[in-house]
Amino acid sequence: MTVGHGIFILIVVLSLSFFSYNAQRLVRYMMSIGQPENRTDHPLTRIKNLFIIGLAQKKILRDAVAGPLHASVFWGFVVLTIGTAEIIVQGLFPGFTYAAILPVPLYEFYILSQELFAVLVLAAVAVLLYRRIVVKPKRLQGDKVHSGDAILILSMIGALMVSLITLGAFGFALHPDSSTIFQPVSLALSHVFGGLSAGTLEAGRETSWWFHALLILVFLNYLPYSKHLHVLTSLPNTYLANTSGPGVKGAMSYMDLEAEGAEQFGASDVTQLGWKSLLDSYSCTECGRCTAVCPANITGKLLSPRKIMINTRQRLMELAPLATGDFGEFEHHTLVAGEGGDAGDASASAALGNTLLDNYITEEELWACTSCRACVEECPVSIDQLDIINELRRDLVLMESRFPPEIQPAFESLEKNGSPWAFDPGDRAKWAEGMDIPTMAEMVERGERPEVLFWVGCMGSFDDRAKKIAVAFARVLQAAKVKFAILGQEEKCNGDPARRMGNEYLYQMLARDNIETLDRYGVETIVTNCPHCFHQIGNEYPQLGGNYEVIHHSTYIEKLMDENRLPLNGEGKALTVAYHDSCYLGRYNGIYEAPRETMKRALPMMTLVEPPRNRSKGLCCGAGGGRMWMEETVGKRINVERTEELLATGADVLAVACPFCMTMIGDGVKAQGSSVPVLDISEVIAQQLGNQS
Amino acid sequence: MKIAVCIKRVPDMDVRFKIAPIGNAVDEAGLKFDINDFDSWAVEAALQIKDKDSATEVVIVSLGSDSVQETIRKALAMGADRGVELKVARIPFDGLAIAHALAAELKGGGFDLILFGKQSADSSNGAVGAMVGELLGLPVVTAISKLELAGATGSAKREIEGGQEFVEFPLPAVLTIDQGLNTARYPALKGIMAAKKKPLDVRPAQLGEQSVSVTKMELPPERPAGRIIGEGASAVPELVGLLQTEAKVL
Ligand code: SF4
Ligand code: SF4
Repeated sequence: MTVGHGIFILIVVLSLSFFSYNAQRLVRYMMSIGQPENRTDHPLTRIKNLFIIGLAQKKILRDAVAGPLHASVFWGFVVLTIGTAEIIVQGLFPGFTYAAILPVPLYEFYILSQELFAVLVLAAVAVLLYRRIVVKPKRLQGDKVHSGDAILILSMIGALMVSLITLGAFGFALHPDSSTIFQPVSLALSHVFGGLSAGTLEAGRETSWWFHALLILVFLNYLPYSKHLHVLTSLPNTYLANTSGPGVKGAMSYMDLEAEGAEQFGASDVTQLGWKSLLDSYSCTECGRCTAVCPANITGKLLSPRKIMINTRQRLMELAPLATGDFGEFEHHTLVAGEGGDAGDASASAALGNTLLDNYITEEELWACTSCRACVEECPVSIDQLDIINELRRDLVLMESRFPPEIQPAFESLEKNGSPWAFDPGDRAKWAEGMDIPTMAEMVERGERPEVLFWVGCMGSFDDRAKKIAVAFARVLQAAKVKFAILGQEEKCNGDPARRMGNEYLYQMLARDNIETLDRYGVETIVTNCPHCFHQIGNEYPQLGGNYEVIHHSTYIEKLMDENRLPLNGEGKALTVAYHDSCYLGRYNGIYEAPRETMKRALPMMTLVEPPRNRSKGLCCGAGGGRMWMEETVGKRINVERTEELLATGADVLAVACPFCMTMIGDGVKAQGSSVPVLDISEVIAQQLGNQS
Repeated sequence: MKIAVCIKRVPDMDVRFKIAPIGNAVDEAGLKFDINDFDSWAVEAALQIKDKDSATEVVIVSLGSDSVQETIRKALAMGADRGVELKVARIPFDGLAIAHALAAELKGGGFDLILFGKQSADSSNGAVGAMVGELLGLPVVTAISKLELAGATGSAKREIEGGQEFVEFPLPAVLTIDQGLNTARYPALKGIMAAKKKPLDVRPAQLGEQSVSVTKMELPPERPAGRIIGEGASAVPELVGLLQTEAKVL
């Protein structure tokens, strides 16, 4: 054994030990601080996510510029790791090479892949560095992100690639007979080195090897201290995520309010979050994609979903070493945190007294969220920022009764009147007067059963504009001869506003009342024109034992058209229509085409135009997450921002498929002094109803 | 400091009322009930004193049938310490009868402050608070919209027609609370859970003699719906005509 060989073995053992120690700390912090959560169900769906979102980089590629660049680096990393393993094993067992164990064609393919990916990664890294240092895209700024960290990591990756190529080139120059066209770049470079002495070439080769091998170990050990920890955590994080299933997308977690000994509801600190939220925080690369699509952030509010993740990590790193008794000198350097702590107290007692809520994340940020889910949709490593926001809101309301004062009347009215506005529940069915629409009670009395129950929702029942949507949809149903009923006075708010505003107690009260009513009538199929009712009853009521088939009116109308039940006149003007995607219909439930499709079929001469942000990238109208009941005083109004985009398409009509979007976009149009009509898709279709034969 | 807050359970005002068949009461079917708004501000006032001085005990007293327990629990969920239900089958109309029952409960309780809402949303008598003060022989200040305490004296502000009045009074005292003093806190789930374990005593109310009763109740006359006569200048003559002949305001 040479001295160099011995030293290398020692270095490998030491660096792997240190890395394992830090990795173990990270896992221990996450599991001992976080609350238990089961993330091992449905392995097949998880493996699918791992392949599509992880390996195929589906979400990364949503960004047309950075996407392909990052995907190149990622795929390069996957391929080059095989070569890295060879180099490290070579250091431990000199003379080892894959050539000895692989058949020749496979080995040649292997060395070619190494070479090509090294060049690809090098090129991508060069462009990424240029972006970081020169272009500085907006989304990479703000929230005190660790830009220096990114530059360091990119430089390391670049240096690894360069040394990999010089390693080959010096070797070929030294032993020209070993050259192979399967390493074309190294081969070309070796000709440049041709004039050098054998000693120089040998030194060059040795230096390249040591530089490359040591840098790999340095890189590995630096990861736990860097936001680039995602290199290690993103794949496990994608596997363990629920953001693209398994389970219902976007459903808030079930909360057992009656649980024996339950004293904490929601979360005010990392100790009350699930461990997966903590793993999310390790995995955040601070790429800012989430913040760049956040309607609150775009319009100048304090909220930034990226900051939520960075703060969670910072707080975890502040608390975890203290809470788990890691007091070693080198344990003081926080892992994955770096600078930029918002609280970061030096003394242990102060740090123990901090909480994620207030010390890091303020109430103002939390209440700015519209629960639009754009951040979750965008995050390339499947982080659920909204989960943390929702848990913190729950703590604010359920534990501390802290919320914007303007939502208290909504809470009180929901409790008393079953609707967020103080209307007489007896007036719920007033919109339907004279339309000959039976209530469930009336129908049951006649000994009949409806085909579907039309769930009208509070907007459709009480809001003057939305009542017209209820009328239009009822006319569509009647034209298609659908036998339907409404609940009338027995319907209550589905509870979504209460739940999204953190008031789980009130939510469960409303939901259980509704479930009791629906089950009493044996309701099986529900149609509704409100995406919030649709999502809540269909996707979240099962948590409380309410199981119904719930259909949004867009899909239901499409079905009626498929079945040729809808008499359409086939006329209509050649209108240009811009459709605005509702978050709870689109991102929460993946329904993007049905609203568009139904309008196209009803209005064959129509031209559908799209604002730049559409479908899964659509911008929220600003009403979700209970924002409908809160004041919006900071920055630009979200509905105005969205309406401007919609009007800029030059459309004659703006179409929506949600009564809340209707209010927001309707107000936006008024604020713009525009007279472009805003119609619900059911109103567009009701206008085209033909003679009822 | 020991504070008693007397609260009443009243129907929610967002719902339209119907007169019960007997003709002198409201039909309670379909009505939602909750704490009287003025009383919730009285509870809040007591709790704000308790927030500053945690040694304060806040006792909720409510006269009514067993359904008032729900209302008392709400006040306990807001943060009051214990509750007392003075049980009756029906709340009588005669304020003095109620005041006797309350005074019997409060007497000898050692309360420094006894708070009421200035009136109830349903019967709007505004009498019981003042009557209890009288029966207990304590100073009474009604309809206050600002309250400050300093040792054994208190000062309060009252909104009066065209101005404001500042008053001082010694403790113990009986106060009735007007709008504007505060906004009542929303009970957190934590408080609702805690309230389930707080003591709530039920005692039969010792009502005083009832000498006043309601003989008849009527809904206000329905207002005729608005009429659109026309648009623009051509409608003016008819409008003027109608304002003179029908509305008789010109
Ligand atoms: S859900 Fe929407 S509003 Fe809330 S943080 Fe995410 S992107 Fe922003
Ligand atoms: S949460 Fe996801 S999208 Fe947002 S900055 Fe972190 S990694 Fe990027």
